[in-house]
Amino acid sequence: MSLLAAMRKLWHSIAPRTPSDVEQEFRSTLDAYQADLIRLGLPEEQARRKARIDLGQPAAQPERYRAAIGLGFFDESGGDIRYGLRALCRNRGFAAVAMFSLALGIGATTAMFSLIYAVLLHPFPYAGADRITNPIMIDDQHPDGFWYFELSKPQLDEMCLAAPVDSVLGFNNAHLEISNDGLPQDISGIYLTENAETFFGVRPLFGRMIEPLDAGHPVVVLNYRFWQRRFGSDPRVIGRTLEMDHAAYAIIGVMPRSFAFNDIAGIGDVYLPASLLQAVANGPAPSFLPWIKLRPHVTVAAANAALEPIVREIRKQHSGVSAWHLALQPIILPYQQNLGRTLALLLGGVALLLIIGCANCSILLLARGRTRQHELAIRTAIGASRWRIVRQLLVEALVISCTGTVLGVAASYWLARLPLLLSPNSFPAESFIRINASVLAFSVALALFSGILFGLAPALRLSRNDPARALPGRQAGVVAVPGRHRWSVLIAAQVALTLLLMATAGTAIRGFLRLTQMPLGYDPANVMQLGIELHVHNPAEWSRLQSREARAAYIEQIRQKIASVPRVSTVAVGIDATLPDADIQSSFIVDGGGAGEQPQARVMLVDQRYFAALRIPLLQGRVWNADENSRGDFVAVVNHAFSTRYLSPSQAMGRQLRIPGLTGHARYQVVSAQSTGWRQIVGVVGDARNDGVDQPIVPAIYIPYTAALQSWAQFLVRTQGDPLTCLHSIRGAIVSIASDQQISDSVSAFNGTFTLSEAIERGA
Amino acid sequence: MTKPVELPQGTLEMLILKAVSLGQLHGYGILLRIQQISGERLEILQGSFYTAIYRLERRGWIKGEWGESENNRRARFYSLTAAGTRQLKAETAKWIDMAAVVAGILNKKTDER
Repeated sequence: MSLLAAMRKLWHSIAPRTPSDVEQEFRSTLDAYQADLIRLGLPEEQARRKARIDLGQPAAQPERYRAAIGLGFFDESGGDIRYGLRALCRNRGFAAVAMFSLALGIGATTAMFSLIYAVLLHPFPYAGADRITNPIMIDDQHPDGFWYFELSKPQLDEMCLAAPVDSVLGFNNAHLEISNDGLPQDISGIYLTENAETFFGVRPLFGRMIEPLDAGHPVVVLNYRFWQRRFGSDPRVIGRTLEMDHAAYAIIGVMPRSFAFNDIAGIGDVYLPASLLQAVANGPAPSFLPWIKLRPHVTVAAANAALEPIVREIRKQHSGVSAWHLALQPIILPYQQNLGRTLALLLGGVALLLIIGCANCSILLLARGRTRQHELAIRTAIGASRWRIVRQLLVEALVISCTGTVLGVAASYWLARLPLLLSPNSFPAESFIRINASVLAFSVALALFSGILFGLAPALRLSRNDPARALPGRQAGVVAVPGRHRWSVLIAAQVALTLLLMATAGTAIRGFLRLTQMPLGYDPANVMQLGIELHVHNPAEWSRLQSREARAAYIEQIRQKIASVPRVSTVAVGIDATLPDADIQSSFIVDGGGAGEQPQARVMLVDQRYFAALRIPLLQGRVWNADENSRGDFVAVVNHAFSTRYLSPSQAMGRQLRIPGLTGHARYQVVSAQSTGWRQIVGVVGDARNDGVDQPIVPAIYIPYTAALQSWAQFLVRTQGDPLTCLHSIRGAIVSIASDQQISDSVSAFNGTFTLSEAIERGA
Repeated sequence: MTKPVELPQGTLEMLILKAVSLGQLHGYGILLRIQQISGERLEILQGSFYTAIYRLERRGWIKGEWGESENNRRARFYSLTAAGTRQLKAETAKWIDMAAVVAGILNKKTDER
C-alpha cells in the first residue's frame, strides 16, 4: 500500500495534473469561446464547429499537455509498443516463430549464465568467500602431488596472529552413529573451531551457529539436508536432543540449504564444537585442517610468502617430503580448474544459439518488411522522420525480444538445473541455482541487446524507402533488388553458425559415447561398495582394535558375515581401492632399477578375492593365498600396464619391488612387519580403469591390504541381482556380530555406500 | 482591423506572463486580454497557446486554481508566482534592450542609404 502511495507521489511530481483535469479546463475555455461566438450571432451548431476548429479537440488535450511538460516520448513509445503488439497479434505465425527462436537462445544463455554465476562467480554462501583459502603443501619434485596438513589448536591460534590473516577456521570430520534408532546409522560429523559463527557469517535457518560459548558443551547444528531427511523439515527441532555414539547432544541450530561445508572433509550431516573432538585413545591431541581467511586486499602470493615460515616451523617435527612449498588455494580454485573450461565452452555454444536466433529474427523481420513497405511509405509521406520510423521498428523488435526473454527466463529456470542433475558431483555442493537480481539484469540486458541486434538492420533497411517508389501506381518496377545482398549474408551466416554448432555438438556427443563404450577392464554390474569406519574416538573399542592382527581379524570377521548373506556371491576387501578412480600415486623401487629414478604407480591395498569380485582377469602367475594375505608381506601382483612400462612383459614373474612410502606414519595406520621390504611379483592381472573413466590406465601394484591398515575399510560385494536390495540384510548381519558397527551411508563420500555403476556415472 | 502580426518564437510565453501579471485570469481570459492589449493585431495559433500555459505552469512561473468565472462557470484561474514575477521582469528588460539595439541598427541603415 505504501509502495503504491510512493509511486503515486512520484508520478504526481512528474505529471502534476490528471488528464481529466486538463480536459475539463480546456472544455471550459471551449465553452466560453463558443458562447462568445453565439453572442456574435453564429448559430449554435456552427459556433460549436468553429470553436473546435479554432481551438482543437478536448480529447487531444491531455496528450498536448504531456508533450508540453516533456513526457511526449512516453506517449509515442507507448503507442509504438501498443502498435507493435497489435502487429504481432495480427501475424501470429510470424510472432510465434520469432519468439520461439529467441526464447531458445535467451533461455539457454540465461541458464548458462545463472549456472556460471552459481558455480563460478558466487558459489559459496560464506562472508568474504573470495578471501577464504585452503592451505596445501605442494611437493617440489612432483608438482601434481599436494597434501593437506593438520594443525593443533595452539598452532591454529598462532596462525591467526600472522599479519595477512583475518581469521582461521579449524575443522575435522569424524564418523558418528545415531545409536538409539534400530540399526546403527552412520552420519558424518564435522567439528568446527568455535569461531565458526563469525568465520562463516551465514545466517542459520533456525537457531544459531556454533559460538565461542559452546566450547565443551554437547551441542549440535544440523545440515539442511540431514534436517530434511532425519527430522522431516520440522521447524521445532531446536532444543531437542540427538543421540550420537550413546551421548545426548542439544540441537541449537539448522543451517540453510546453501550451507554444505565442505568439499575436503565431506559434507557434514551435523556440525559440532571442536572442543568435543576427543583425542584418539593413546594418541596425540586432536588436530584440525585449517581454512584461512585473508584480510581484504592481501594477495595470495603475499600471504604465501608470509605464512610459509610459520608452517615450516610448525611442520619441523614431521618427517616426510622435505622439498615443498606452501600454497593458499582460494576455495573456488578446484572448481574453476575443473569446470571453467567446460562452462565457457557451453556458454560459447549457447551464445551461438542466441546469435542464430537473432539472425533468424532479422530475416523474418526483413521478409515481413516487404509487406509493410506500403505502410511505411505512407508514414514517411505524411511526415514521419526516418528516426521516428527506425524507432518504431526497433520498438517492435524489442517487443518480440522481450516476450522471447520472458519465455526464455521461464524455461531457463529448469534448464539451469539440468547440468546439476546430470552431474551432481562436479559442482560445489553449495551452488544452488536460483534466478536472482544479477541473473535477471543479465537477461534484460540480453533482451535489449538481441532486440537491437536483430532489429537494427531491418529497421535501417526498411526506413530508407523512398515513398514515391513504394506507393501504388509506381510499383510496377523491381523493388526487391537492393536488399538481396544483405539477405544472402544473413542466411549464409545463419547456416554457417548452425553447422558450427551441430559439428561441436556432434563431437561432444561422440566423445561422450566413446566414454560410455570404453572397455573398463572390470565388471561393475551388481557390485557395490560398503564402507565401514572404526570408532577411533571410543577408547574401549579402539584399544581393542589398535593392533594390526586384531583389526585385520575384525575386518575379516565382518567380511565373512557379509558373505553369508543370501544372494551375496563374492565379498572382497579393499582400502580406498574402488575403481574407476582408486587411491593415489606412490613411488616404488624395482630390483635393478636406476638409483636416481623414482617411478610412480598406484598402490592398491586389496585382498585376494578382489580380482574375482571385480572380474579382473589373471594374465600370468597366481594371486596370493589366504595365509599370504593375512601376513601382508613379501608378495605383490601388478597390472599389465605396470609390466609393460617398468618390466619386460615376459620376465615380470619373480621380479622384486618395494614401496618405501608404506611406513605407517599416518594417524590410525598400522603396517605389517616388512611393509616397506622387498616383495616378489607373483602375478600379472589385466588392466582396469584406475584413474577415472576418461583417463589412460596407470601402472598399479596390488598388495595384501593387511600390509597397511587404516581406521576404515571397504567391502566390494558382488550379488545376484541389484546389490542395494541386499543392503538391509547385510546391515542386520553386521550388527549381529558387532552391535555398534554402522556402515557409511553417504553416497557421495569416498568411503560411502554405492554401487560401482553409480561410481562410473559420477566419474564420467 | 489593422494588419495581423506573427509572433516570434518564445514571445507568446512572455505575453501570457504579462497578461496574468495584471490580475488573475482563466485561459480564455488570457487569450482575450492579449488580443485586447495588442489591439486585436496578434493572431495566436490556438494549439500553441495552451502548450505555452502548460509549460509556464510546469516551470512554476504561473499557478492555476479552479474557481468560478464571471458567468458562474467553473474555470481554472492563473496567477503569477514570485518566480514568474522575476522572470517577467527579466524578460521585459531583455526584450526592450534587444528591441532597442535591433531598432537602432535598422534605423541607422535606413539613414545611411
